[in-house]
Amino acid sequence: MRRLDPWLQLAAPVLLVVATAIVGSFTARATEIYFLTAITSVAIVVAIYVFVGNSGVLSFGQISFVAVGAFAAGVMTVPLDSKQGVLPDLFPLLRDHTIGDVSSLALAAVVGAVFAFLVGIPLMRLSGLAAGIATFAVLEITHNLLREWTKIGPGATTLALVPETTDLTRAAIGTVVVIAAAFAYQRSRFGRSLRATREDAAAAQAVGIDVHRQRLWAFTLSGALAGLAGGLYVHMLGSITADQVYLELTFVTLAMLVIGGITSLWGAVVGALAVSGLDSFLSEAEQGVGVGAATIDLPQGARLVTLGTLMALVLVLRPSGLTGGREFRLPRPPRRRVAAADGASKEAAREPV
Amino acid sequence: MPVPDASSDQGRWPGESLRATAVSRSYEGVQALREVTVEVHRHEVVGLIGPNGAGKSTLVNLMSGFDRPTSGAIELDGHDVTRWPAHRRGRKGLARTFQHSRSFRGLSVRENVEVAAIGVGARPRDARRRATELLELLGLAARADAPAASLPHGDERRLGVARALATEPHYVLMDEPAAGLPEAEVPDFAAVVRAVRDDHEAGVLLIDHNMALIMDVCDRIQVLDQGRMLAAGTPAEIRDNLDVAAAYLGESAVEEETEA
Repeated sequence: MRRLDPWLQLAAPVLLVVATAIVGSFTARATEIYFLTAITSVAIVVAIYVFVGNSGVLSFGQISFVAVGAFAAGVMTVPLDSKQGVLPDLFPLLRDHTIGDVSSLALAAVVGAVFAFLVGIPLMRLSGLAAGIATFAVLEITHNLLREWTKIGPGATTLALVPETTDLTRAAIGTVVVIAAAFAYQRSRFGRSLRATREDAAAAQAVGIDVHRQRLWAFTLSGALAGLAGGLYVHMLGSITADQVYLELTFVTLAMLVIGGITSLWGAVVGALAVSGLDSFLSEAEQGVGVGAATIDLPQGARLVTLGTLMALVLVLRPSGLTGGREFRLPRPPRRRVAAADGASKEAAREPV
Repeated sequence: MPVPDASSDQGRWPGESLRATAVSRSYEGVQALREVTVEVHRHEVVGLIGPNGAGKSTLVNLMSGFDRPTSGAIELDGHDVTRWPAHRRGRKGLARTFQHSRSFRGLSVRENVEVAAIGVGARPRDARRRATELLELLGLAARADAPAASLPHGDERRLGVARALATEPHYVLMDEPAAGLPEAEVPDFAAVVRAVRDDHEAGVLLIDHNMALIMDVCDRIQVLDQGRMLAAGTPAEIRDNLDVAAAYLGESAVEEETEA
């Protein structure tokens, strides 16, 4: 039974994502976008989790890597014949080439990884509040580069004409890849070393763990997965602005991670899906939605107010999140009681010795 | 510096020792250590005693790489490691325990030991085997799957030693390992310290206020007071040294009262 546990910890989140995709495929076209968004959110939140959850260091900057991934994949897949018209200022290398949408996802991951690695070299020396503020600075810098620099993207205008290739199948496949990578990482020697630094950085150093290096690996992997998620995101939307991968997305995805439980992969997945569901309902309700006979019509902004309140409530009432920050496990109260009694009797047997 | 009773061993590890040479450390004008020299060889237990504030923990932090000396040098098996970060010294055979155990509380007891082996480069399979052996040795096998946070105080101290040994160290610095340990468990802990010396052939620098433990297990003892090395010798010599009694034993009696 215990040997099965690790595989269940991978299978449960994967099945949840696949189930979401299957349910989504039976709904109307108008609501399909909510399922797509939910699955893509899982990819983004799991990418954030790889760094924040395993290291215990807060980062407000991971959406930067989603952003560069989204713009890299988007810019490189706009069809050549329209590209020179809509993006005339691009570097010639970017302007005169186009790649396939699957390759663009790989490119997004590579760009995200390289960017995270370079940024991480100085930043991973920080922890706590300093790390939070510095990563926030990265978000701000990235946002302004994307919004102002027309040699690498559309600048302040919308990047349009991106092929809409992220359907439910591809979103699910991409997100399962992200989950599998996160799972493999957290079971690797790197993941285990980083989790030790999360528990006690000084004690981890004393047993030979290079805290800076382990954080940098996780930050880079997180950047790669966030970049991939950004690629999925831009191919889902078909068009994107720098504002769509900035503050609000940072807030919403962090809320998802906090609400699900920061320290587990299961928490990241559950939080992303649960909050996505709620988020979709609330944004419908801001437009007015019929529930039975009644019509719910929430004022503008109600969505983010509700999410913020919920995040604050979770932090106060259940800081380890909905999942308690633990990985998925089958409920088995009878076995646990037996095990506990067994342990107690062993204790009793040891006592007289 | 005299090295009583250990001379026969030194031939087995020529040139190998952990040595702090004339190290000083001052914090914003306050001199915590002045020109202190300590040397620990493989297969011996060196006690370091002195009243609170004498600079014992400062010395351990300097030797293990968590702090840098203002002057002086630290050598580890012939390498000058004064500027090495802590994790690099850990990989080179220097382990330490902490005053408040500092276990990885969210991990299981077994994971605590495994990750220490992994930290110095062991493969996961070997780490697992090493953890099994060490938990057995230290009497923690029955609690291997419990979260480290659930351990009683005495077990947590032994987990700290298991974690240090998982790095297969040549030297182990123990910072007040018996603090808060019930008196009845002290003899067991003395056996653990001896096992580190005899079975693992490691050199131990043992800091503690428990004089019974110190006198029991140490091959030699150094006394630190107000940042200076006050005396050094065998347990018998130290016991006879009246200056030391004034500087330390009187104080420790007071401390034991306040701790109790």
